[in-house]
Parts: sequence; C-alpha cells; structure tokens
Amino acid sequence: MLYAGLFCLLTVCCLALVYWGTMNEIRTQIDAGLRAETDALLRLYQVRGAVALLQTIDARSTPASLAQSDTGDSGPRQYLLTDTNGKVLAGTLDHWPFKATTGWDTLHLIAQGHEPGLDSARHYRLRAHVLLLPNGEHLLVGQSLNETDELRDQMLTLMLIVAVLILGAGLGGGWWIGRSVVRRLEQVTNAADRIMAGDLAQRIPETVRGDDEFSLLAHKLNAMLERIELLMRNTREVTENVAHDLRSPLTRLRGAAEMALLKGDSERQREALRKAIEQTDDIVATLNAILNIAQIESNARRDRATVDMSSICHDAADLYEALAENNSIQFESVIPDGITLPGNRQLIAQAVGNLLDNAIKYTPAGGRVLLTLSRQANRVTVQVSDTGSGIPADMREKVMQRFVRLDTSRSKPGNGLGLSLVKAVADQHAASVTLEDNHPGLRVSIVFSCEVNS
Amino acid sequence: MLCGMHILIIEDDAETAEYLARGLQEGGHVTELAADGDTGLQRARTQHYDALIVDRMLPGLDGLSLLSELRAAGNTTPALFLTALADVEDRVAGLQTGADDYLAKPFAFAELQARLDAIVRRRDAPATATLLNVADLQLDRLQRRVTRAGRVINLQAREFRLLEYLMQHAGQVVTRTMLLEQVWGYHFDPQTNVIDVHISRLRAKLEHDFDTPLLHTVRGAGYCLREPD
Repeated sequence: MLYAGLFCLLTVCCLALVYWGTMNEIRTQIDAGLRAETDALLRLYQVRGAVALLQTIDARSTPASLAQSDTGDSGPRQYLLTDTNGKVLAGTLDHWPFKATTGWDTLHLIAQGHEPGLDSARHYRLRAHVLLLPNGEHLLVGQSLNETDELRDQMLTLMLIVAVLILGAGLGGGWWIGRSVVRRLEQVTNAADRIMAGDLAQRIPETVRGDDEFSLLAHKLNAMLERIELLMRNTREVTENVAHDLRSPLTRLRGAAEMALLKGDSERQREALRKAIEQTDDIVATLNAILNIAQIESNARRDRATVDMSSICHDAADLYEALAENNSIQFESVIPDGITLPGNRQLIAQAVGNLLDNAIKYTPAGGRVLLTLSRQANRVTVQVSDTGSGIPADMREKVMQRFVRLDTSRSKPGNGLGLSLVKAVADQHAASVTLEDNHPGLRVSIVFSCEVNS
Repeated sequence: MLCGMHILIIEDDAETAEYLARGLQEGGHVTELAADGDTGLQRARTQHYDALIVDRMLPGLDGLSLLSELRAAGNTTPALFLTALADVEDRVAGLQTGADDYLAKPFAFAELQARLDAIVRRRDAPATATLLNVADLQLDRLQRRVTRAGRVINLQAREFRLLEYLMQHAGQVVTRTMLLEQVWGYHFDPQTNVIDVHISRLRAKLEHDFDTPLLHTVRGAGYCLREPD
C-alpha cells in the first residue's frame, strides 16, 4: 500500500513538472516576442517621431496585417496607442483596458466582434507590455493567450489520460504480481502445513516453466524434503532393525540368566553367567557399531587431515595377515608407498579393517585374500578381493544396508554392520563403494576422488 | 596386580559406583565415593589418592572441568575417565584435559582394572629404560633385539612393539583393546579377535624350545607377561 501511494505521488509530480516546464517556456517565448516588438516600435518613435509610430500602428492594426503577424502558435498581436488623456489614437482595442501605466500584465478581456482572429463576445486573456512614451502617450503591445490556453487544456487532458494509464498499469500490475507472489507463497505454506501434519510425501508444486526464482526455490525445498524423507525412512528402518536384531541376543541373555537362577551347582551357574556376559558384550558391540555409523553419517565433515593411505593399508595388512594365515588363507597385499588423501585416519582404517575382516571370514581355508592400494590420476582405490562365496549380483546393493546378512542362519559372528560402516565412511569421504564378482569370490573397491597432491 | 591403592570414585549413578567400589575392594583396594563434581573436586584437592575414576557427566561440576581444574592446580594423580560419551572426539577431549585413560560404558571390570593398573604403574616406572627384563627374556630397545636365555629371537617390527608393550606392563593384565590402541593405534573394535592370533604367534616364538610359559592368557580379561611362580 505504501509503495502504491508513493508510486502515485511520484507519477503526479513528474507530470506536474512537465506541465509547469512547458507553460513556463511558452510564457517566456511570448514575452520575448512582445519585448522585441515594443523595442522595435520604440526605436521607430525615437528615430521618426510620434506620427510615424501612429501610422505604423494603424498599418499593423488592419486585419490583413494582423493575419500576417499571426505567428501561428500564439494568435495575432494586439496594439493600442493612447494620448495623455487616455484617448485611443490607434490600435486594435477600442479603449484603454487597465489603469497601470507601464510594465507587464495579463488582462481578462471580452473580445469584440471586429477584433481579428476572434469570435464575438468571448472572454480571452491578453498578455500585454505597456510603455510610457516620452510625449506622454501610452503604447500597449499585447498577445492573446487564447491559443496558449487551448494548448494548456489539451496538455492537461493528455496528461490526465497518461496519468490514468500509468497509474492503472502500475497499480494493476503491482497488484497482479503481488497476488501471484502471495498465491505461490500460499502453496509453500500449505505444503509446509501438510508436512507438519505428518504427510512427509507432500511436495511444493513447481510451475511448468520452472525458470523463475520461485520455481528454483520450490525445487530446492523439494530436494531438501526428499533428503529429509529419505533420512526419516532410514531412521525408521534402522530403529526397526535395531529392535529386531537386539531381540535375539536379549532373548539369549535372558535365557542364560534364567539358567543361572535354576541350576543348582555353582560351576554350571558360573558357566551360565559367563554366557550372559558374552551376550551382553554382543549387544553392546552391536549398539556401538550402530552408534558409530550414525555418528559417521551425521557428522558431515569432521577432522580432516592428510591421511597416509599406504600406512593405513600396511597396518591393516599387518593386523589381518596373521588372522588369514591362522585360517589357512593365503594373504597378499600390493601397497605402493606415499599415497595420501584428505580424510579421517581412524574411519578409513576401520573401513579397510572391516573389508579384510569380511573377506577372511567368508573365505574358506585354502582360499586367497588380496589387498591392493592404487592411484590413477586423482583417484585412489583400495580394493579387497577374496575367493570366498561371493555375493549374488542382485544382493550387492542390499548388503550395504544395515543388518543385511547373507547367511540367514547367522552362523558366523558379526552383526551385519560391517559393509554399512564401509559405505558410511565412503559417503563421508565422497568416495564410492563397488562390489564385483571376483570369479570366484567378491571384490570390493572403495574409490576416493581427490586433488592430485603427489 | 597392584594392591592396596587408595582410589576416589566420582560417579553419580549409585549402582555403578557400588559395583565399582565392590569390585575394587575385592581387588584389595580402598575406595571412596563422591556423587557429584564439586564434592569430588574438594576431596581430590584435600586428600591424597593413588588414582581417580571420574564420570564425565556429573551433577554440578562436570568431569572435564573437574579434571582441568585439578590439573591446573598442579595435581597429577592418575585419572581415568569413565563415560557413556564414547565418540572419538569425546575421547580426544578427555585425554587433552589431562586424563590418563578413557573407558566407555558399559565396560568389563577386567578392562577397568587392567587400565587402572597401567596408568598407576606408568607413574612409578620410568618408560625410558633401555633394557627390559622378564625372567630370562630380555628386550634391548636400542639394538631392537630380543633374547631368551641368551638365544636371539627374531621378531617382526610389530611383534617387537607388542612384546615391548607387554614387557613394560609385565605382571599386569593387558586387555585386547589396550593392545589395539597402544600397538596398532586402532581406536575401534575389529569384529574378530585378531589380537589373539598375534599373541599366539608371539607366544610360539617366545616359548618355542622352552618349558616355562611367560605369556599367559587371562580368561575374560586379556594377557599377562610374567615371571614364572
């Protein structure tokens, strides 16, 4: 509203300025013309005397002469010469129209029938310049403002039309734009309301054109909602899985505790209690793993430093090589020195450890596990391949989700969180994880993209 | 195992505190309890203790502030943080404040005891000794050489560090997580007990051709390198 008012005021001011400027210019031009004419007549009087002046004015007052003097835009000139008593000596007017003796004035007159260029009995305005001649006679040279006034009226009409057009277009357009803004904001508000009411699938309508700021905003908000919905779904799934996965060890824990209560002799009681503690440790380990993944996922980028990938892989190889040997698995590693990338050492070490742990766990005795580290341009790849049972192609995406394990009997130790952690760590480092067939076995690669900093 | 230590437990959960106190008393230690940060700080300032067990989240003054005030006042009593905040960053914050070790809840009592022993011993024994001896086993840190009864035992670099750590803590129980942290620098739990494999390899090298075992497995706790009885 304030802007609308301001807009109107400005428009009116602009038009007024144009009007005032134009009128002032016309007035100045008329006055200049009149002054030139009076000056010419005064010179004539000074050089050739009063009689010559009288004759000249008489000559100029004939209708033919007046028509000729009509400058076109300001109407014919008017002349009047009176003696000291005010008696008309010559000119186009029949009497002295005002009391003032000299100077400028604007007169309101009633036009006479015989006055040239004017219809009978009509009011008109006359711009006049009066001189007192040295012999006591008065000379008046005037210019009818009739045409100027007509011009002024036309201009006012025109300006009124322009004003209406500008104000109409401005206010109407403003109102229309404002309304469309409000309408689109309402769409956002409504969507927000519905989302708050629990309908997470709601999205803000995006227009077909999709190229203005509102569509961009709607698009961004929708992308954000998409992400939130995904996270919410993840959280729900995880909660369900946690509840499900903790139920079994809790059942076993409860069972062990009950056994300890029932069994009379203390050695078997102790054994039951030991089992209970083992189950508790399992539960704690699972919870820690879940928390760990959740922390990795929620902390977008934490303590980044230059990490020596070669040393991480050497350490992991060193730690797991003994385990592989113990399980009669042939372990090999190809680790070039000096490969670094920005990241979190503990997390990457944990991910590499999990990959080796899985590979050794699922490879039968006599099999082979290979750890390689390599760099190609700005890509660093950690790859663990084994000759174990592998993962069917349709399950490869799935095993990276939490709690998914291939052996439904769950005979091997572990909580099904190993690959989820690898995936979470990779995501945190903007790296990709791929699972491939090793013919036979599984080949897992983590590919980090980073700036070349060799 | 160390006996007769005077230990201050600053823990607001009555059951945990009771469990800690009973366990430590059975190990022959004397314990005192403080249920909030301010009482804990006041006690730790006015009396001498061999070790402090501090919960991080306490009513009143929290564990971190308590320890940093103590350390600022020049008190160097070995302190162990016991906490439910087990994130790596929490751990780093705890150690930077001046804690000697950091243990996440829930914990095995054996783990606590082993870590407590380790931090108290560390204050007593200089870590700079060049020669470490346990029975007829000798480790030379300068020459990086290990001998048993004068016979040289060839160890890989990591095995050497593992033995070095065990010998530094000879007679004490050392847990798997302690070894992972101290020897491999891993602050997470590998799903499989890889440490067991390394220990049995080391044991095979140390005890090959010898009758007396030196490296013992302590069931439900960890390992202990000690002189034969």
